[in-house]
Amino acid sequence: MILSRIHLATFLVATAAACMPAAAQLASKPGAVVTTPHVRAELVAHAPDGVSPGAPVWVGLQITHQPEWHTYWKNAGDSGLPTELNWTLPAGVAAGEIAWPVPKKIPIGNLANYGYEGTVLLPVPLEVSSNFKPPLALGTGASGLDIRLKATWLVCRKECIPEEGEFTLALPLQGSTALHKAEFDAAQAAQPQPLDKPGTVEVSGNNLQVRLEGLPAAVQGKTLGFFPETPELIRTAAVSGKDWTQTWQGGTWTATLPLADQRSASPTTLPLVVTLAEADRQPGQPVAWRTEAPVSGTWPATAPRAEVSPALQAALAANAANAAAAPAPPTELPAQPAGTFVVALLGAVLGGLLLNLMPCVFPILAIKVLGFARQAGNRSAHRTAGLAYTGGVMLSFLALGGAMLALRAAGAQLGWGFQLQSPAVVAALAALFTLIGLNLAGVFEFGRAAPLSVCSAQAKHPIANDFLSGVLAVVIASPCTAPFMGVSLGFAIGLPAAQALLLFAALGLGLALPYLVAGFVPAIARLLPKPGPWMNTLRRLLAFPMFATVAWLVWVLGQQSGIDGAGTLLALLVCMAAIVWALTLRGRTRLVIATVLVAFTAVLTAAIGRNVLQTVEPAKLASSTGQRWQPWSAERVAELTGAGQPVFIDFTAAWCVTCQYNKKATLADADVLADFDGKKVAMLRADWTRRDPAITAALTSLGRSGVPLYVLQAPGKPPVVLTEILGKDEVRAALAAL
Amino acid sequence: MSLSPSSDSRSIRAARHARAALSRASRRAVVAAAVALGASFLMGNNAFAAPAVGQQAPDFVAVDTSGAKHKLSDFAGKFVVLEWTNPGCPFVRKHYNSGNMPATQKSATAQGVVWLSVNSTERAASDYLQPAALDAWMKSQKASPTAVLMDEDGVIGQAYGARTTPHIFIIDPKGVLVYAGGIDSIASARPDDIKSATNYVNQALGEAFGGKPISTASTRPYGCSVKYKT
Repeated sequence: MILSRIHLATFLVATAAACMPAAAQLASKPGAVVTTPHVRAELVAHAPDGVSPGAPVWVGLQITHQPEWHTYWKNAGDSGLPTELNWTLPAGVAAGEIAWPVPKKIPIGNLANYGYEGTVLLPVPLEVSSNFKPPLALGTGASGLDIRLKATWLVCRKECIPEEGEFTLALPLQGSTALHKAEFDAAQAAQPQPLDKPGTVEVSGNNLQVRLEGLPAAVQGKTLGFFPETPELIRTAAVSGKDWTQTWQGGTWTATLPLADQRSASPTTLPLVVTLAEADRQPGQPVAWRTEAPVSGTWPATAPRAEVSPALQAALAANAANAAAAPAPPTELPAQPAGTFVVALLGAVLGGLLLNLMPCVFPILAIKVLGFARQAGNRSAHRTAGLAYTGGVMLSFLALGGAMLALRAAGAQLGWGFQLQSPAVVAALAALFTLIGLNLAGVFEFGRAAPLSVCSAQAKHPIANDFLSGVLAVVIASPCTAPFMGVSLGFAIGLPAAQALLLFAALGLGLALPYLVAGFVPAIARLLPKPGPWMNTLRRLLAFPMFATVAWLVWVLGQQSGIDGAGTLLALLVCMAAIVWALTLRGRTRLVIATVLVAFTAVLTAAIGRNVLQTVEPAKLASSTGQRWQPWSAERVAELTGAGQPVFIDFTAAWCVTCQYNKKATLADADVLADFDGKKVAMLRADWTRRDPAITAALTSLGRSGVPLYVLQAPGKPPVVLTEILGKDEVRAALAAL
Repeated sequence: MSLSPSSDSRSIRAARHARAALSRASRRAVVAAAVALGASFLMGNNAFAAPAVGQQAPDFVAVDTSGAKHKLSDFAGKFVVLEWTNPGCPFVRKHYNSGNMPATQKSATAQGVVWLSVNSTERAASDYLQPAALDAWMKSQKASPTAVLMDEDGVIGQAYGARTTPHIFIIDPKGVLVYAGGIDSIASARPDDIKSATNYVNQALGEAFGGKPISTASTRPYGCSVKYKT
């Protein structure tokens, strides 16, 4: 605490020093220059024909920024403030508006600003009328125009410092003031040119459709930057080509820009600037164009008021009941009564047991069958293997549970099965299973591809080996929540840390139980066949579940990264297989072929490797499955139930095999679908293949943290949650009860 | 292509290789698991739509400066104000040093409103404050929020689309976002502007308690950028 006080004190002193207003650092008499730690600002003028009515007179503030610091354009973007100039001028002289030069987009994380770095001149035209009476300077005979400026600007890097300065300048009436001609010319060249035609802006859904005509022929086909002068309108940080698109059709430029989530502006006319990219700018040619386009279409109304979820309704009721008591914020989640908790633990063990029967655990089964075949007849080895495997499984579950608790503490809303929501992890697993499959199929032997010492060191530690295959089991099994497991997990998320970890341990125990029993009950161990030639056959056979797993993982990645991602992954897997094969060759052949293949793979990875990690927008479900399924959203559910229609929601993910089974079996059954139609049930699908916080939140509110989850919700009734391995009869009974 | 039956010696060698394969597979599995966990932490910052006024406010759990946990849904039935803050930002100091923000907090909490100040400044930022230091600063400013929440990973900030410090969100008793935007109507760092500005938070809460619809529900937040973890 004392330390933190000291920290605080130094911090306050430091920030106070950093934020001394520039004015305080000035000499008593203002001049034309103000220098702060972050900028040098100078009041400059350009009056080539002297100061008289009708003659061009320009003044301006020239700001030279320290590297990395910037000040802001008239629309500052997501944060910041535009520079302000307040002039004090003699009667008969009036200052115009700032002629803002073309700004630069400055991204900062998920946000973006519009502003200036380096040196910028903000020019302002002065209008001298015939009312202007120049003061007669005594003694010298020369008279001048006294200009006073009070400027305030916000200068930011990551931190922001508001600064201000007072400036004075005396402009001679006769003669030419042109010392800063080059800077004023540059500022003039950086002005956007007015477009002849205003263009159009149309609001469509949550986007703006901008259409501009009359841009010069030299610009056509070039990618333009877009700067709206109205703040709080579009998503400032949207990236061209990713979040917003632009196309040329002949001389017409059209762009689709996303509106800001929290838009507070709804203009009828949108002043906007489009700019050439730095690389496309030619000296002596315009670099940007400005127009004030009329806005058509209707601004999206604010979202319909969301329905109150049952969980929230319960919380409301509970809070109303507790209103009499003094409200103390809960600091620890309430512990569950012991009885319920024991049931939950048993459920977790059962859930873990059932996990063994899930398709995604099959590759592990294959590996373990080999493992037992290897050690037949060695009872103590069996015991140790079973124990080590159990240890691996349980510790992994505890680690996952601990990670989940840590995330829960950080307020992140994350559900079970999150590993396979990341394309990088899916790709890595596909590579891993391809290697295992190739090895089992006999394409290469690890003894050749790695130094012998490594292999023998591995062989000396069978216990570590079993432990690690237990870890592997958990990684693969986690996406499939068997019945009970989902309930247990939903239960665990709202439990104190110790109880939640116990629940995770019970899940792990259930998963490891079959092997543990096989290790300790000799009868089961004796059922295992003796080693012999059949092992070779078995080994070849076991390659196929591995490759089947790869096929499934490629399909999962295709759901996340699209067909390009899946294709790229397959190409890279082929390359990897070829490299592995090349390493089994001998002598010079090995060197040459392996080098060529590695080089080729490197080129391929550089060229298209990105495809694997990209995420594509979920395809519209309606297009692929006719009109039956609609994409899920909380608003849509509220809308449908509000209109009196019952709703069936399928929470699913591509990497969840149980979900796919249900989709192809029960949810495709003609009788079941006929019942759905008979009850006029709207069917919504919530796809959790990629992480989606809205779906995570919905799962949590239903007391679950994984998929599959099937919910039937009738208007005015609590939602009915169906079992995870969906039976036809169960669905039909639930529908009949509507 | 001819298939020959395999001999005994080959099958034993195969078993040895299978063992090697298994041990390699296990090691790779550990790496994959580590990658999986790591990636899930890294990939939590996907941009997603922040709620608009009129939509359900995302629920969250956060730890305050004294280590206590707070869950938004625990406050169901009350108005909740979320105030993004960072003592290193001059705009925040404008509203604290002048007493404006503490006064706004006091008047809100006196009416039974829950006021949560949220700091989403990343640990690596030059003006990041440890929970105890942030708490001390708040006390030194005579601030009276219900709690000061630490959001160094920016999860809550990103969920709400908080852009500036200060940036204010008001959530009604049903959990719906009813105001999002600035603290007041004059975007500047000058404390002198406070007295002539409209305090949007006081106005919105006044209208809500008076049973009137909130007239100005979304405004332009102004201030420093929130220094999110990138």
